[in-house]
Amino acid sequence: MPSHPLRVAVVCSSNQNRSMEAHNILSKRGFDVRSFGTGSHVKLPGPAPDKPNVYDFKTTYEQMYNDLVRKDKELYTQNGILHMLDRNKRIKSKPERFQNCKEKFDLVITCEERVYDQVLEDLNSREQETLQPVHVINVDIQDNHEEATLGAFLICELCQCIQHTDDMENEIDELLQEFEEKSNRPFLHTVCFY
Amino acid sequence: MELSSEEGETSHVIDMTTSEKVVELLNQAALIPTDEKLTVLKQVQELIINKDPSLLDNFLDEMIAFQTDKSIEVRKFVIGFIEEACKRDNELLLRLIANLNMLLKDESVNVVKKAILTLTQLYKVTLQWLVRGKTVSEMQEACWDLVTQMKGDVLALLDSENDGVRTHAIKFTESLIITLSPRTSDSDIPKRQEGDISLDKVPKDHSYIRYDVLCEEGKSALEKLLKFMVHPAISSINLTTALGSLATIARQRPMFMSEVVQAYETLHANLPPTLAKSQVSSVRKNLKLHLVAVLKHPCSVEFQGQISTLLLDLGMPQSEITRSTPALREQRKRPRHEQYTEGKKVKMEPALMEDDEDKEEPAPLTTPNPAVVPVAQSAIDLTAEFLHPLLNPENVANLVLISMVYLPDVMPASFQATYTPVESAGTDAQIKHLARLMATQMTAAGIGPGLEQCKAREDDAGKEEGNDDDSGAKDLLIKRKVPAVMVGQAISVVGGYAEKAPTAEAPTAVKRLPEPILPTAQTKLTGASGRKKVFRLSDVVQPLSDTQIETLTSRAVKRILHSEKAIAQSGMSHVRVKLLSRLVTQFEGMMKEDVLEFILDDIRTRSDLAFSLLYQEYNTYLSQLPSGLLDSYDHCLFTLLSGLQEKPEQRDGLFTKLVLEAPIITESALEVIRRYCEDESRVYLGMTTLKELIVKRPSRQFQYLHVLLDLSSHEKEKVRTTALAFLKRMYEKDQLRDYIEKFALNYMQLLVHPNPPSLLFGADKDTEVAAPWTEETVRQCLFLYLSLLPLNHRLVHELASVYTEAIADIKRSVLRAIEQPIRGMGMNSPELLLLVENCPKGAETLVTRCLHILTDKVPPSPELVERVRDLYHKRVPDVRFLIPVINGLEKNEVIQALPKLIKLNPIVVKEVFNRLLGTQHSEGSSSVSPLTPGDLLIALHNIDSTKCDMKSIIKATNLCFGEKNVYTSEVLAVVMQQLMEHSPLPMLLMRTVIQSLTMYPRLGGFVMNILSRLIVKQVWKYPKVWEGFVKCCQRTKPQSYSVLLQLPPAQLTSVFERCPEMREPLLQHVHSFTPHQQAHIPASIMTVLEANKKQQPKPAQPVVEKEIEPITAPDGSVSEEAPTVTLKEPEMPVQHDPAVTKDDEEPMEQEQLDPVIQEESDNTVSQVELARASETPSPQPEPAEEPMEVSQPGPSDPQEPEKDAEADITGPEGGSGSEDVE
Repeated sequence: MPSHPLRVAVVCSSNQNRSMEAHNILSKRGFDVRSFGTGSHVKLPGPAPDKPNVYDFKTTYEQMYNDLVRKDKELYTQNGILHMLDRNKRIKSKPERFQNCKEKFDLVITCEERVYDQVLEDLNSREQETLQPVHVINVDIQDNHEEATLGAFLICELCQCIQHTDDMENEIDELLQEFEEKSNRPFLHTVCFY
Repeated sequence: MELSSEEGETSHVIDMTTSEKVVELLNQAALIPTDEKLTVLKQVQELIINKDPSLLDNFLDEMIAFQTDKSIEVRKFVIGFIEEACKRDNELLLRLIANLNMLLKDESVNVVKKAILTLTQLYKVTLQWLVRGKTVSEMQEACWDLVTQMKGDVLALLDSENDGVRTHAIKFTESLIITLSPRTSDSDIPKRQEGDISLDKVPKDHSYIRYDVLCEEGKSALEKLLKFMVHPAISSINLTTALGSLATIARQRPMFMSEVVQAYETLHANLPPTLAKSQVSSVRKNLKLHLVAVLKHPCSVEFQGQISTLLLDLGMPQSEITRSTPALREQRKRPRHEQYTEGKKVKMEPALMEDDEDKEEPAPLTTPNPAVVPVAQSAIDLTAEFLHPLLNPENVANLVLISMVYLPDVMPASFQATYTPVESAGTDAQIKHLARLMATQMTAAGIGPGLEQCKAREDDAGKEEGNDDDSGAKDLLIKRKVPAVMVGQAISVVGGYAEKAPTAEAPTAVKRLPEPILPTAQTKLTGASGRKKVFRLSDVVQPLSDTQIETLTSRAVKRILHSEKAIAQSGMSHVRVKLLSRLVTQFEGMMKEDVLEFILDDIRTRSDLAFSLLYQEYNTYLSQLPSGLLDSYDHCLFTLLSGLQEKPEQRDGLFTKLVLEAPIITESALEVIRRYCEDESRVYLGMTTLKELIVKRPSRQFQYLHVLLDLSSHEKEKVRTTALAFLKRMYEKDQLRDYIEKFALNYMQLLVHPNPPSLLFGADKDTEVAAPWTEETVRQCLFLYLSLLPLNHRLVHELASVYTEAIADIKRSVLRAIEQPIRGMGMNSPELLLLVENCPKGAETLVTRCLHILTDKVPPSPELVERVRDLYHKRVPDVRFLIPVINGLEKNEVIQALPKLIKLNPIVVKEVFNRLLGTQHSEGSSSVSPLTPGDLLIALHNIDSTKCDMKSIIKATNLCFGEKNVYTSEVLAVVMQQLMEHSPLPMLLMRTVIQSLTMYPRLGGFVMNILSRLIVKQVWKYPKVWEGFVKCCQRTKPQSYSVLLQLPPAQLTSVFERCPEMREPLLQHVHSFTPHQQAHIPASIMTVLEANKKQQPKPAQPVVEKEIEPITAPDGSVSEEAPTVTLKEPEMPVQHDPAVTKDDEEPMEQEQLDPVIQEESDNTVSQVELARASETPSPQPEPAEEPMEVSQPGPSDPQEPEKDAEADITGPEGGSGSEDVE
């Protein structure tokens, strides 16, 4: 087992649903976890697919919540957005953008391939300093509540297994292969350096 | 405690100097748990490095001491501290670098990793520090030497078994390459590293650090990295890391871009086959990312063609490629940087809109690229150009056909992931692409015309290598040939071109650059063996330790073993069974035990496994036949059988089945069967099994039979009887008969030994051989024999011969044991008759015993009687032989034998009488005595007193009188009547009369009649009889008065002389007569009656009193009244009188017998005891033995009846002898 607790980042596009669901569960299980989005803006479903609610990363969950209540309380209650925001604001005040975070992690888990690419691009564009490795793993999760919950559990299990390895870097490959087989979904995995 | 101390600390801190604070913190750190220790140590680090660096030197040792801390985190912290300290004060490198070296070899990989990271930094720091100084001290030299050595160690860690360590080693290599190569104007320098040392800052005239050496080291590191990357079994993370490192190198040192791009090309065409599908995706994604990063560098211009081809293959749209491609005219660093940021913006905003338009652009952009290439063509380029015209449809078709042979059976994951259908097949662009792909492969394999040309060019450029700072193009040109030769990769597909390879050129290349080429070639050839633990499959190759192998195999077997249900459900049980039995028989060890135990857990359902295993073991034995041992099979069978035997409940005949179906019954298995038979609850099943074995396995039947025979003398009765029953049945089979018989006889022969042989006690009972024979041990020898005897009568002679030799104790036991079988044989058995007829010397008692047994319940047959008579008359004149058959003899024979018979032991006499009187057979069998009871009594009276003493006769008659049921008053009357007729009168006549009268008082009248007739017979002529007559009269008064009156006067006088007291009553009796009656009484009589009256009026009285009183005393009140009352009760006087005439009448006295009998019984105490102890049969054999002894030594030692059978027997003889004397 690694001598220090894993520092984990969970990253999705808007830091609302998938990353927050995982953040929620992981922190409950005692992980040192942070969550992020990689998008340029925070987008939430709107009254129509082509009319999303767009916020910047400075907007707090609370503000979004109030905004949506004001716009159409019933709609956003029904599609669970308000509930989600309510959960989120109890975890942290506002969404964070991965690219703006300079903290170092041991493990970054992304929730879709596009996000994974963005994380990789960001990490590779940073100037290397300590050469400390960070493992980036992509777990594809569809952006809806149910999949987010299932995905969060999968992520949690994965993190627990990694946390329990004697030598994470030496065993993670094999571990992921097992998980792929078990969950029947492919994981993208790479390593970057700070 | 801690809380308060911390509070105290904070308050103290304000006052304390930094030094004091550090001391206190260090003291704390030594004693607290890891987490807090880290916090404290970090504080110290902060204090002595940042706050007051002057303290650094002071506390260095204390801090470094923590490098041996148990906690990994603390050790890692120490490494971090070393780094910080050295950066702060380079001088400390001298002291600390050795510590880092130690930590680099730490047992924890995490510490090692951290040490590598730190060395990555400190290498640069050290170099910079040394370069800065003009002169280098010895210590510094040593420090640098150590750092160089550590560098080598870390490079060697590229071959580490740990994935993470390798990853760190790659990063170290990356940094090393950058440091040990010159920064150029087109280098892409990260801001943070601007101040870092690089080769260009190393003075070429440095006193110790040699520029050229460093340069070579850098190149060699790059070679190492490239070599590492093409390893076929590289892990996906290492590959990813290496890809990233190459991209960094290419951008920071564009001089290496050619190598990097070629390495990418090679990799793309030869993804490691060990990667999983998702890993292939990850790697490709990385490759794409890094290619784009390289592409964005302005120096990529020359390679844009290759890079964009690769990117296209990786699925990147042409438009994006174009966007990432820097414009040709753009200048170096700064414009490139703008391009980079521009690219980002483009992506974010207008990308989607522009996509469609971009698609038109690729063609114009790619075409110019080849134009650039000729300037500095690489080997690949040249070979590709060479190949291009050759790729006509015919050649391609041939190539495809040839290469079909080499295709793997299964599509590799990497191929599957990367394969996209060729859209533009046959177009010129596609042919060019194909040519290039092939050229890459060929160059990597070290063949192709491009390679030749490169080498030629190399000769010219070789010396310019040193001063290539300004000319990037030139530099590339020189550098390129290195990896062209070096970056090798196994080529399977292009084998057909091998002949075209310019083999002549290769050696030159080797010559020029020996170091890089040779190791590469080796790596290629040796393949996966190059690194030990790159890929987890290689774990399998590692030899396991014996114990590991053992545990693994046994676990595997266990899994098969316990998958019983699952396999049963799939209907494959038979396969499992077969598998298990094969496995288990092949390997020694615990497995076998496990399987057997498993079987025994539920043998009923697992019997198929048991059988399979057993057969397999046997099969193994057979396959190694000449030398093979049965041990393993034996163990298997033994364990199974024992298991079954020990199980309490086994209803189904699994045990039997196993025994009968086992190919061979081993000794130990037989032992288990034996144990099974000894179990009383399963004895029948066990012996049935044994019987089956005996019958069905003729080859070893005697071995099995022997077990059964052994059991026939088992101490448990049930076991024994069952075994005997089975043996009896088997005895009927001819082939077994002899063996059984021999065994039985052998066993019986043991009886001739003075002591029981040890084998009788069984192996487990370690009894001393000297133990005496006991009833038990004797019987043990006889069980089988005796049960066979009724089946084969001939065997009886063997018994006789053994019997004669055996000691007395055994004889006795034998006699007791034979009853059942002898009775079973019956008296008609010819063999038995023969035995009686021959009667071996010494076996007389045995024969007698047999006779007794035979006639015990049934009357003897004439044949038997005949033999006995014969024996008696011709050979052994012992009357006791006659007893058993006495009822079969003629009347006169019996009478003849009587004198001898009644002289025997009273018990025997009683027995004889019982037989004769028919009182013995309670069931009232049809034995008809040759003598009626009356005859017997008469015969007794008629015995010649010379032949037999009176005492014995009296005893014999008493026996008769004892049988009241037989001797009724009628019988006695007849007897008396007949005795009366005898002349001379039998001596005991009157005794019998009195006795009869005592028994039956109503015979009084009859007796008077007798008395009267005796007078007629002049009874006074027989003194004894006369005596009895008087006595009788005396007892029967007053009835007898009339008889007395019939006596002649002289005799009457004689009566009165004997009993004076009779006279007076008789006189009075006469007086009571009527005168008429009185007249009939002769005067002489009257005279006698009255004469004595005066002479002795009263002397009689005292006599009577004298005689009566002492005797009546014991009888109490009755006797006191006797004088008056007894006259009317004739019975009483009989009891009292004997004392009166003690001396003379002794023989007549009934009472007299008692003391005699007691006397005798005193002598025969042991005999009687014995008789009682051994139930009915015992009294008979003993008397039977008497004659034997008599005829030999006679009554030798009558004093020790207990000890010796002879003594027992002679004892009574002596007793009766002394009786005779009396």
